[in-house]
Amino acid sequence: MSRGALSFRAVRKVYDPERKAVLALDGIDLDIAPGEFCAIVGPSGCGKTTLLNAVAGFETVTAGTIQLDGRTLATPGESAAPGEDRIVVFQHGALFPWRSVMWNITCGPVMQGRMSAREANEHGMRLLARVGLKGCEDKYPNDLSGGQKRRVEIVRALVNDPSVLLLDEPFRALDALTKSVMQEYLLELLVQFPKTVFFITHDLEEAIFLGDKVVVFTSRPGRIKEVVTVDIPKPRSHEVLTSARFLELKAALSQVVHTEARRAFEAGEKEMAR
Amino acid sequence: MKSLASTAAAPPANAVERGTPLASGIKTHLNRHFDLVVGAITLIAFFLAWQFARPLGIPGLSAVEPPTRVVAASWDLLSSATFWTACYKSALRILAGFALAQIIGVPIGLMMATNRMAFHTLFPITEILRPIPPVAWIPVAIIFWPTREMSTVFIVFLGAFWIVLLNTIGGASTIEESYKRAALSLGSSRWHLFRYIVLPATMPSIVTGMVVGMGISWEMVVAAEMIASDTGLGYLLWQSFEINAGAQVIVCMLAIGIAGFVSSALISRVGRLLTPWQGRR
Repeated sequence: MSRGALSFRAVRKVYDPERKAVLALDGIDLDIAPGEFCAIVGPSGCGKTTLLNAVAGFETVTAGTIQLDGRTLATPGESAAPGEDRIVVFQHGALFPWRSVMWNITCGPVMQGRMSAREANEHGMRLLARVGLKGCEDKYPNDLSGGQKRRVEIVRALVNDPSVLLLDEPFRALDALTKSVMQEYLLELLVQFPKTVFFITHDLEEAIFLGDKVVVFTSRPGRIKEVVTVDIPKPRSHEVLTSARFLELKAALSQVVHTEARRAFEAGEKEMAR
Repeated sequence: MKSLASTAAAPPANAVERGTPLASGIKTHLNRHFDLVVGAITLIAFFLAWQFARPLGIPGLSAVEPPTRVVAASWDLLSSATFWTACYKSALRILAGFALAQIIGVPIGLMMATNRMAFHTLFPITEILRPIPPVAWIPVAIIFWPTREMSTVFIVFLGAFWIVLLNTIGGASTIEESYKRAALSLGSSRWHLFRYIVLPATMPSIVTGMVVGMGISWEMVVAAEMIASDTGLGYLLWQSFEINAGAQVIVCMLAIGIAGFVSSALISRVGRLLTPWQGRR
């Protein structure tokens, strides 16, 4: 795999609505190798989604540089337009409810002119079958369950063959059991279609289970507190959740995450009291 | 109502054991169709009161022709060409005014919702004109348009236009950002974004505007025809009043009601065809 090297250099983001400068991200330095699964964990409001949005091209940065395979995606005054090389799967899902599942999956490559509708359909059918959704192609997204929707959305992202997959808490709204199944689906799909993954979550267990690398953010302003390499071999199944190494990693990280969560909570309380 | 009926149906089970089979059978039946029975009784009572309003001296209602006369008058009216021509004329005006409201209102609404410049240019003028009731436009419309026909269609158009415009602006400016972002990251051009995201996402609001607009169109056509026209159901209604044909007035009223109901049902149908994904989970 040669595509999908994502690098962040001294990335800083200041929000300045109503002239109240709010520092959202400060001095983010991070390298994600091609094909690497990087899970970002941190308390609410720590700037995780801001960083993802900057990669996706939805937001600018105040300082620093974000590059994808040497191409500058974001630097002050410059921001690459959103594109199919960086597909986002949103927290609350963004399947177009007015179109069929198949249209949702194939619209990307067809709109980009990379595939004919027929080619895209064939490819989409294969992928749908791969995630156990054969027969759902003509349904509307709202006819599907939460887990099925998420699968369709991941398939929609993969059909575009992006350099990097940007997943913003994609399984947050799912129940615990569906979530664990979805995590396994995602890992299996990534074996078949290896991609660099930028994965945001609040769930430390999820981060360790999925990630090759777990990055812990501090509470606002978001800085990198700790980067841990998850040395549990892949493919992983849910049995690793009870393995000694997993528990060891979880114990080591949960203290760090908890401290930051507490700090974010107290800062929020102070803000409310003001 | 269904659940009420079913809970009300519980006690008669005992009654079956106690009463004679026929009496208890009727009782069970009545209980099961409680809602229908109550509705029918109210209707019958209303028609009886209306029919015998004069001998009973019911104030107000006694001034209205009784239902038997209305039925007789409707027979005469329904077999006359005048009535059907009036229906046809009103329907044509509705169709023209309503269609114009969609053709002009939807694009302007979409433009105002998606383009800041367009919004700021058009918003002040819409805010000044919108609160003026369409009926208040009738004199100006008569002066402004060369024919009475055009004036009537214009009033119908105005009635539907504002609601179509507001619904379109409302729908198109509240599209979830994630849909647009998803489309952009999937490689949408501006045209794709409009065609595949903005337009379908706004469609449910457009349909709501159509349904409400259709109702207002009928109100407007009747008012405009009464004042500015010499054909149509509104005109026929007013004429009937002027020649003191009370029963005919009621028939015209009912005809307008039925026409409004049918056209609203048709629009709802069209709405369902335009938004087949709606009404799902």
